[in-house]
Amino acid sequence: MRLAEIDRGDSLGNRLLIHFISLVSGMRLPDAARAAFYHRDFLGILGEWTQVAMRDPSQWSVGERELMAALVAKWNSCAFCVGAHRATSARGLTRATVDAALADYHTAPLPLGLIATLGFLEKLTRTPDDVSAADAAAVLQAGVTREALTDAVAVATVFGVITRHADTLKFALPTEAEFDKAADMLLRRGYA
Amino acid sequence: MPTEKADHRALAARLEQRVFAEPAETPPQLRQDMGRRAAGGPPIAPPYDDLARQIGAAAYRVTDAQMAAVRQLAGSDRAAFELVAAAAVGAALERWKAGLAAIDEASLP
Repeated sequence: MRLAEIDRGDSLGNRLLIHFISLVSGMRLPDAARAAFYHRDFLGILGEWTQVAMRDPSQWSVGERELMAALVAKWNSCAFCVGAHRATSARGLTRATVDAALADYHTAPLPLGLIATLGFLEKLTRTPDDVSAADAAAVLQAGVTREALTDAVAVATVFGVITRHADTLKFALPTEAEFDKAADMLLRRGYA
Repeated sequence: MPTEKADHRALAARLEQRVFAEPAETPPQLRQDMGRRAAGGPPIAPPYDDLARQIGAAAYRVTDAQMAAVRQLAGSDRAAFELVAAAAVGAALERWKAGLAAIDEASLP
């Protein structure tokens, strides 16, 4: 069920901002952005962490982190977030690579450390109780540092929240062309 | 390339503190209950139980009826949003903690 207040904005400033961005971008501002603007006093910290996880310096490129987000969305069956982060990731990794990874990341043309990391994130997303130190050690043995693996787990965590919001609050699904436009916004403006 | 290290642990702690401990529209205890239930914890009172469990296990299967029941009892969009966020954050931070524990305990041969 959608919440009307998220749709229209919860302050005059946010209503104007939603209207302005929609006008300038030539598309309805996606619900993920409307939700990020909503009740910021309560959940603004999620946007702050998402910005750090997705855009701050890391051993993972922005495209690789966007791919992790797209895959977390796939494992959580969140069509909105798959569409948004597939489009954004493709700007860094090519559409063919991203689509191959979404079909089966084990066989996609990705660095071995990234494939090992995605295996860890999949288990953490689907069956967190089964994740063990041996799983993490296997990723470290593939050449991934603890810091990089922690960065990846942070991406999976913030998208563990965002995918649940998208599905529970029934975010409207943009077209593929609109997702491409929104990818520009996510790369230019970020998440905070 | 700059290499300043992101402090994810501090950000996770701030998220947990804000969503589960600090004052908002809804009582912190109810938000804590939602978060624990979504992370596989014990049942809570209806209609919160059904929504929290569903958000944790498979949010794509949340129905409008499950959400509407909580929205009605919560009394406002803002309160309903807090409860949805509490369930989502509870499920996600459970995974964060499991991931960190595995990384911290992992040893290389």
